[in-house]
Parts: sequence; C-alpha cells; structure tokens
Amino acid sequence: MAAMRKPDKKIIFIIAEHHESRTKSIVFELAACADKIKKFCPAEIKVIILESETEKLSFEITRATGLDAVAIEINELALYNAEIYKTVINDLAEEYFPSFIVIGHTARGLDVASGLAVRMKAACITGVEGLSEAGGRLCFKRQMFFGKINAHIAAGSEPLIITVQPGSFEAYKPDSANPGRVETRRVECFAELTRATGIRRCKFQDSSISEAKVIISAGNGIGEKENLDLIYRMADVFPGSTVGGSRILVDRGWLEYRQQVGLTGARVAPELYIACGISGASQHLAGMRDAGFVVSINKDPGAAIFNESDVCIVEDLKKFIPAFLEEYGKREI
Amino acid sequence: MKILVCVKQVPESDSSFIIDDLQKWVCKGPFSYKMNRFDESALEEALSVRDKDKSAVIDVLSVGPETSKDIIRRALGMGADSGIHILCDMDGYVSPFLTASYISSYMKENHYDLVFTGAMSEDYMQGQVGPIAAEMTGLPCVSFVVKQEISYGKKSIYAERELDGGLIESFELKLPALLTIQGGINKPRYPSLSNMLRANRAEIRTISPDILSKNDPKQINLRVSVPEKRREGYLLSGSVQEKAAKLIRILSQKAFIA
Repeated sequence: MAAMRKPDKKIIFIIAEHHESRTKSIVFELAACADKIKKFCPAEIKVIILESETEKLSFEITRATGLDAVAIEINELALYNAEIYKTVINDLAEEYFPSFIVIGHTARGLDVASGLAVRMKAACITGVEGLSEAGGRLCFKRQMFFGKINAHIAAGSEPLIITVQPGSFEAYKPDSANPGRVETRRVECFAELTRATGIRRCKFQDSSISEAKVIISAGNGIGEKENLDLIYRMADVFPGSTVGGSRILVDRGWLEYRQQVGLTGARVAPELYIACGISGASQHLAGMRDAGFVVSINKDPGAAIFNESDVCIVEDLKKFIPAFLEEYGKREI
Repeated sequence: MKILVCVKQVPESDSSFIIDDLQKWVCKGPFSYKMNRFDESALEEALSVRDKDKSAVIDVLSVGPETSKDIIRRALGMGADSGIHILCDMDGYVSPFLTASYISSYMKENHYDLVFTGAMSEDYMQGQVGPIAAEMTGLPCVSFVVKQEISYGKKSIYAERELDGGLIESFELKLPALLTIQGGINKPRYPSLSNMLRANRAEIRTISPDILSKNDPKQINLRVSVPEKRREGYLLSGSVQEKAAKLIRILSQKAFIA
C-alpha cells in the first residue's frame, strides 16, 4: 500500500479500546482529546481498531464519532496481546506517519504505550489531563507529586504517544451526522513471547454505590482498620448513604470491591460525596468528579483532594468525625 | 532464578511541594523519603518467589541520588541479596526514557531471568520505566500485575492483570520477562533486625551513569503549576468542634441532613 501521508496535514491515531466487541467509553474521550490537538495543529484523525473481528466495532465507532477508522483484523487477537498491538501499530505508523498517537490511560493503554514509543522512537507522556501551551509549544498537562503539582510536558520531537486519563475530556460529539469511512484489512501477526491465556470476571460490582445519594468515602488517611467504624457511623447520619473508598483499602481487604471508587472501581455521581483521608490522586478523582457537592476531610492541608472540594476541612478525621457526631447529636435534642 | 527488582525513593505523600521561582520545577527538599509503595510490592513478590525457591537470588537496583542508598539498604533489610545503585543526581524532571535506558543498559550486561518493577512511582505516576526497559532489552512485559507464578518446567511466568469492572486478564510470558507490579497486592515484609544489621554493613555496588548508554530523553517538562481549583474549596476555620458545627449547618442548609 502506498504511503498515505498528506504533506500539509498531520495524522493523529486513536487506539480503540474494547471488550467483547463493545467500544469502551474512553474512546470517545480520546476523540475529544484528539480534536483539541487538532486545534493546535491541523490534523486528520484515524481511529485504529485491532480485533479478530472488527465489523461491529468499526460500525459503532465511525457512526458515533464521524471519524475515519482503520480496522485491522488479526486472528490472534481474539484476546488482547501487547506484543501484537505493538507490532501492528508500529507497522501502521510506518505507513501513515502519525504525529500523535492517543491511547487511554488504562491498564491496557499503559501496557502498550511506552513499549510502542521505544519501537517508534517516539516520546511518550502518560496520564494526560489536558492540553496547554508554554513557550509557543503544545504541552500536555499531567499530575505529579501526589496530585499537588501539574507538570506541562512537551515532546522534544514527533511522533508523540500520549495516554489520556479517563474523565478528563468530555465525550466527543461530531459536527456532522455523517459516519466516518472504514478501511478494513486482515493481517497475520503472531506473538513469540507473550501468550494471552484468558479473561474472567473475578470481582463483582453491584449498582448500590452508583445509586447512593450520599457516599462517605475512606482513603489511606484513615490509618487503622478500626477507624472504618467512624466512617460507617458518619454514614448513618445521612439518609440514602453508603460507604465507599479508594483502591488501597480494597486491596487491603478492608472494603469490598463493589465499594471501590476510581479508575478501576466505580465512577459515581452522588449528590454528596464526603472524602475522608483521601489524598486525591487522579485515579480516584476519575471516579468521583461528577459528584454534586464534595466535602473533604484531610490532615494534610496540601492534599490534592481539596482542589476538587466544595468544603475543605483540615483535620485528623479521628478527631473530626467524633466531633461531627457529637454536634449532630446535640442538634437532634 | 536470578531476579532484579527496581526500586525508587519517593518523598512522603504529605510533603509540601513548592514551585521554584522560574516555575520550572519544585524546590529541592528537604524531603523525607521512603521506598515507593509499588516497588515494595514488587520486592515482596520477588521475596515470595525466593521463599519457595531457596536458590533464587534477588538484586535490587535504584537509579537516583546518593540518598537512594537508604531504600536500597531497606530492600536488603527486607531480604534482598545485593544492592546496585546507579548514582545520578539530576535536577528537574527526569524523563522515563533516561532512567529506563540506564536500567536496560545494566540489564544487557547482567543477565536476569526475571525483572520486577513497581507499576508506577507514587511521585511521578508515569508507569513508564518498566515497560520502556522491557522493550529496550527485548523482554516480554505485562504491566499492573496482581498475581504471578513461575513455571520452572516451561521456563515461563504466568501473570494476571486487573482491568476495570473487576475483570482479570492473564498471560503466559517466556522467561526472561519483566513484570510491573500493582501496589497493595501483597503485604511487604518489614526489615528484620538481623537483615538490617547485615544491610548496614553491606557493600552497595555503585555505578556511574557515564559508563552506561543513555537514551535521548524524548520529552521535556516546560513548566509546573499548582492544580487549579475545580470547586469553591471553602475552608472551614476554628476548633474541631466549631468546624464540625459549621459542616452540619452547611449540610442542613443543603438538605443533606434532616
């Protein structure tokens, strides 16, 4: 196939993430991010779809986004395989010369992005939450230092691969209702060192946390497991409430997986979210940014969660929650 | 089984970070440092391999300034066999391509069957050094691993990774391989007193980056900023009791509590 590079226009690749032939919602956020990049430098967007069968995915994506897609069917990709992804995308890059490759900041996205960058001799910026400009250059904003600082990073040269933090861009809405074009091809590619052995559901989510009107959420700052009791006692004050928490407490087995809020847990939008001892790393914020009203209690005045809060309380929650319960008790009498 | 574990020193999470006058980076400490939480889990995975296979040897490697020796000693205290320190004290943002190129340059000279790194560092949160080092050395790699098991007969390693929605996907990689380990998947052991005594006397092999090949950093940090407030951020003042009373008033006004 002839090189399709247009000299006047750059190319942006979006790598589609999917599961069981369904497009992950992050793909539409990636499209929004790519569209923003286009405003800095005119470019043509192509969604890259890799699967053993791509018809359903390409139909869905090109209709929802109006963007063109290149669908590559590979028998070996009935299950995701990083080695095949890297090889195939690298081959496509040698054909289309993309200036940017936009990937989700997800477990799979991160699995592919940096290794692909090495192959393509590309730069790679992960966890991108926004675009900015510094010194006339396009920069990518990402969190650092526990979310207390934003860094604005630019590529030294093209191409650049970025991974985009879920929840950072609003899903892309196309200007026109015309579906994009699809170019489908089948290629052969085998992985030599990596064999995908399966995918299974091991933890179950129920909708209780997503439906709760009020979530009292606990993070690493609660200290001892016994202090969880305070969180539950606080939750008792609010009708229609439930207890949630950050990943670290779920890992420790202090909370159930269905209670986990954040990137690998639930994305919630309660009317009230009370964050207790949560530092506010982007992985957690991605799960609670849509909350109506946010109250945060943390003894670290610099905690990133305070930037995402309507009410900030700098206190040790071991002292604050008992005081809160006491004041609440007084009030009822 | 020869295992390399890469560890990094990170500032404590409650440290305050002050942006320098040029708004290029954060001011240098003094920070109190600790071992990156993800790397602790990576080291614990390696130690659990050696618990079962006594012949396994675990080396820990850190790229960083002189103070990184403290976490190397801690790793030795936890049970690692020997420590390697690629001593480089760089100001400002350090590209993952640079760090990974030092590690991969070391890996090319020293054979390991298995390399574990943390899935990311708590301070930079890039999740890149492991996968880049794997690619540079031609090793298969799985990131964000929550469970691993070596198959000695097949010379391979089985690894599971968590996706969103409670899904687990699994892979089998030919050895040698590199896994980046998710934090919190195990309970990192505390250094024992006898190990710590040994660790304090142990010779840490220090390598100058000058003798290692180095990659173009590929990307530059142009400036840093304080994250903008996305909400009002009304700060309650007063004693604990006063703050509690204020919060109750606010929540009552908003009809969250009756």
